[in-house]
Amino acid sequence: MSEILKSLSDALAANTEAVSPSVVRMETRRRMPATGVVWNSDGVIVTSNHVVERDDNLRVGLPDGSTVEGKLVGRDPSTDLAVLKVENASLSVPHWADVSEIKVGHLVLAVGRPGKQVMATLGVVSAFDTAEKMRIGGALDYYLQTDVVMYPGFSGGPLMNAGGHVLGINTSALLDGVSLTITATTIKRVVETLLKHGKMRRGFLGVGAQGVKLPAVLAEALKQEVGLLIMVVEPGSPAEKGGLFMGDTIVQIDGRALRSPDELVNALTGDLIGRTVTLRVLRGGQLQNIEVVVGERG
Amino acid sequence: MRDQPLTLEDTNLLVQLDDQMAAVNARARQSLVQITSGSGWHKGAGAGTIWHPDGLIVTNAHVIARGRVQVTLPDGQVLPARVLAADENLDLAALQVEASDLPPINLGHSKTLRPGQWVTAVGHPWGVLGASTSGIVIGAGREFPELVAQGREWIAVSLHMRPGHSGGPLLDAEGNVVGINTMITGPDVGFAIPVDVIKSFLKTALGRDEDSAHESARTHRDSLI
Repeated sequence: MSEILKSLSDALAANTEAVSPSVVRMETRRRMPATGVVWNSDGVIVTSNHVVERDDNLRVGLPDGSTVEGKLVGRDPSTDLAVLKVENASLSVPHWADVSEIKVGHLVLAVGRPGKQVMATLGVVSAFDTAEKMRIGGALDYYLQTDVVMYPGFSGGPLMNAGGHVLGINTSALLDGVSLTITATTIKRVVETLLKHGKMRRGFLGVGAQGVKLPAVLAEALKQEVGLLIMVVEPGSPAEKGGLFMGDTIVQIDGRALRSPDELVNALTGDLIGRTVTLRVLRGGQLQNIEVVVGERG
Repeated sequence: MRDQPLTLEDTNLLVQLDDQMAAVNARARQSLVQITSGSGWHKGAGAGTIWHPDGLIVTNAHVIARGRVQVTLPDGQVLPARVLAADENLDLAALQVEASDLPPINLGHSKTLRPGQWVTAVGHPWGVLGASTSGIVIGAGREFPELVAQGREWIAVSLHMRPGHSGGPLLDAEGNVVGINTMITGPDVGFAIPVDVIKSFLKTALGRDEDSAHESARTHRDSLI
């Protein structure tokens, strides 16, 4: 009577089963376990940073039922990703999807392993865009939001497309009440950096700043109410070398509006280290450009 | 990935899917009853599932907890019900109404359920009669992170179960009952008692092997001309 519905049902169950060998359990926090995804056959595991509550005594539950010790490679709170490594485990690497093929409305499965067996929830892609357009900071390459139910312990688990390929890693921690998926593009960047440096490299200017209201005329011209007033310039810092002074108000970095210290932190991504950025600065009632070579945060 | 608009063929697929979901629901509603328990202010209401043509109805024990049980059949007939067996720990009850030739739900199996499988819950959420909600099996078994370990079996489902779904059937993609809707742990997560647990409850409490009784009843009906 229901061939197509039955086929859909079988396909969803088959996709869940197919990814199961690449989905591990993270026993890395006090409360319930969470989920992680195998990144490569060398034993590298990716999960959500917020479920790795400690730096040692990390246990990883493998698909074969055994539990092994995991070592923390590094974390990146800005993308809510953490990388662990397990030794001598034979792990199955999942197929990663081409992120550019994602479309709003696509069916997606979230898979988790908070217990021994894998579990699944179903939903659709609610929103997909480059992260910059969605204004949630420079840390994510793409903004992928779904309506999948984040069942307890699903954070750190894979989001799969209809073809059974992994689109990214689900987290419920970055945006309150929203299921966000960190896509493969971001994961690759973070994992490679963490494996190489053990931490995420972040750009550094050496200023202390706070949001301040801009004069009405300027606010209208810039279509921006608030800028960043510099309170402190650290001696010898990139900011001082570039000629920034206490009392300057930064309104833009490389053409992007800056309205809060958080936006400046997000803008100073690791790839800017050693590069010159152009700051649009209000000084003595005049706007001017100041070029600063970005340093690295220690 | 295609950039062209949906073709007629694609649209047909969704339309067929719609039709089949509607068919599963229509068939299930024939075996879905309303149950009231108690009287006056203390009246409780829920759903029940017709298990056998001779008037055997299965529901949750909590649905009949207020005494005096009445069953409203899909055709509107209201009948008093006798409680054959009730187990509060399992949250299961077997009822008997004086009726014959009732359309029983098709029995499925819960041991073979896999995460990801399509399921539909029907019942009377908040008193809305015969309402449906669909989703997938999150997992089946004894181990669920948000439940205090009880060692008992459940089917966790990702759909919108509400009070009033209790006692109604949880169906697979083919319209077979795989569980009885029992509780929720959140707005999007429901729990059902697996049909295999219900079969063994009926066998123990009533001495009936419903799988074979069902089979013969169906064969009998199918052979009529």
